[in-house]
Amino acid sequence: MNPRAVFTIYQKELLELVRDRRTLISMVLVPIIAIPALFGVMHYFMASSQKQAEREAVSIGVPRQPAMPGFEQALQDAGFQLSPSDNPRAAVEQRQVAAAAEPARDAAGNLVVRLYIDDAREASEAAASKIRAALDTFKDRQVRQALAGSGVSEKVLTPFTVDKVDVAPKGKKAKKMLGGMIGYMVILMIFSGCMYPAVDMTAGEKERRTLEILLSSSAGRDEIVLGKILAASTAAFITGGLNILSLAFSFQFGLVGDDFREFLDGAQLHPLAIALLLVAVIPTAVTAASVMITISSFAKSFKEGQSYLSPLIMLVIFPAVIGMLPGMDANPRLALLPVFNVSQLIKSIFAGDYTASAFIVSFGSNFVYAAVAFVIAVRIFKREDVLFRT
Amino acid sequence: MIQADNLTKTFQDKKRGQVRALDGVSVQVNPHEIFGILGPNGAGKTTMLRLLATVLTPTGGTARVNGHDIVRDPAGVRASIGFLSGDMGLYGRLTPREILRFFGRLGAMENGALERRIAEVVLLLDLKSYADTRTDKLSTGMRQRVAIARSIVHDPPVLILDEPSYGLDVPSARLIERFILDARAQGKCIVFSTHVMEEAEYLCDRIAVVHEGRLRIIGTMEELRAVTGKSRLREIFLELLGIPDARMEARA
Repeated sequence: MNPRAVFTIYQKELLELVRDRRTLISMVLVPIIAIPALFGVMHYFMASSQKQAEREAVSIGVPRQPAMPGFEQALQDAGFQLSPSDNPRAAVEQRQVAAAAEPARDAAGNLVVRLYIDDAREASEAAASKIRAALDTFKDRQVRQALAGSGVSEKVLTPFTVDKVDVAPKGKKAKKMLGGMIGYMVILMIFSGCMYPAVDMTAGEKERRTLEILLSSSAGRDEIVLGKILAASTAAFITGGLNILSLAFSFQFGLVGDDFREFLDGAQLHPLAIALLLVAVIPTAVTAASVMITISSFAKSFKEGQSYLSPLIMLVIFPAVIGMLPGMDANPRLALLPVFNVSQLIKSIFAGDYTASAFIVSFGSNFVYAAVAFVIAVRIFKREDVLFRT
Repeated sequence: MIQADNLTKTFQDKKRGQVRALDGVSVQVNPHEIFGILGPNGAGKTTMLRLLATVLTPTGGTARVNGHDIVRDPAGVRASIGFLSGDMGLYGRLTPREILRFFGRLGAMENGALERRIAEVVLLLDLKSYADTRTDKLSTGMRQRVAIARSIVHDPPVLILDEPSYGLDVPSARLIERFILDARAQGKCIVFSTHVMEEAEYLCDRIAVVHEGRLRIIGTMEELRAVTGKSRLREIFLELLGIPDARMEARA
């Protein structure tokens, strides 16, 4: 095999890719812009709907006739605006108030506070939760007042407390979860970013009638296939890499929103983690490119190539989703599973418990898959019935 | 320069079963010679040219191109040939200069020599004004010039041309004719297939007619005339295929 011929084909394929608008969209624009935009839009809508819910949750319904001494005052102290009504339930149903609280007596004559909420409204849920808290405080105050009169110590109310201690390093769970999510997204991006270039280099060449000329050039079939696989791997890696950088940017500059950042418990994408992630996705990019070049070689047109590769994307989602699930950790057998092993590796990189052997197994197994796919692709490029299908 | 011996190619077709696309064809083509292959659609012309270009592998027989065996040394064959087809096969997103550089490098040319050769070819085919414009922005005539330049950038001794003037207007087709004649003058061996009888008659030193995968006749125009008793290539061609001339049929 002549390395110069391989490099010449590699260069030509990349040049063709960067001159194509569709490739630039799938390879560069989607991973760079789509992810921060997605987080930004999600954050904006979630924050604005939460603010609206909080605004609406202030107004609640109560009976026009006071039924329990101190009841209205307790709710007003909690910051509610009270809206007296003859029928509090109807006021909630007609969306005049977010929720309503109505003291009443049950059949045994016990005092019950009935809470009317509209479960379909976020504001109603928020109001109900605040009413419960206000009534708990009110109830607590009444109990303490009763105990003070009887001479019994308040300590009888809390014989013991429960104190949960998390022995995991700070934020480890959140980091694992974040790693799982990012692994899933990056893997998906790698495969989807590789799809267009792979089809373009194989079925696209057939459709544009350039393949026959390339086959009659001095380059050997193995050199042609290797050049194409390397170019598709580069495209896949760029897509995955840009996706990682874009995610890091989104986390760093708060595009994910304060609530999510709080959940992440300070977990961030540090430069070392970013570098390790970029290294970890290399074998996946090569495997994705090899498999996709192999499959799309069978297609005689661009459309046909896309329809061959779309199910592969669906197939990739399964191990990526399984890898994302919390508690799903790699064992030696699962570590050989393509896609899954990389998603586990990405998770470990985030949690900070990755090992050299995880890298070796992931690299080793993925390069074996890539090599097998390369051999198959070369064979396909020698099959006249595939190359000259009409 | 080209020596084909009993060249045979069979395909397995799902509907038709085993198809004999080329059946024991033996020909010899020399340097300084333009050799035309005529035949109706599906006769085996393209198969023969693809076999000589090592794009396909023969199922029987073999051929030597510039001393290289098409089965045992396909890389040597490909380094010796320039291949051009009617649909040109140009990379639309690349400029003519980039296409020439790409195929020159694949042809193992050193960078310095390649750049000199590109400059020479650009001048020869008058590509200068659009050598750095994307090929998909060029007219058909311009693209035809680029396709010719691509086939000769590595200066091959053998040219294999599959219906090179297909779909071209008269001025563009004339460019192809000029290119073929110039190549012969440079001592190259040219094999080309065509449907245009006038073109074959005008250009070819020798002509072969292929029908249903078999070589029906081979020779100079004089030899073909002598064998068939017809004067024009069109008449000779129809005679060999057993198809009556339309005018004769109309009179009858």
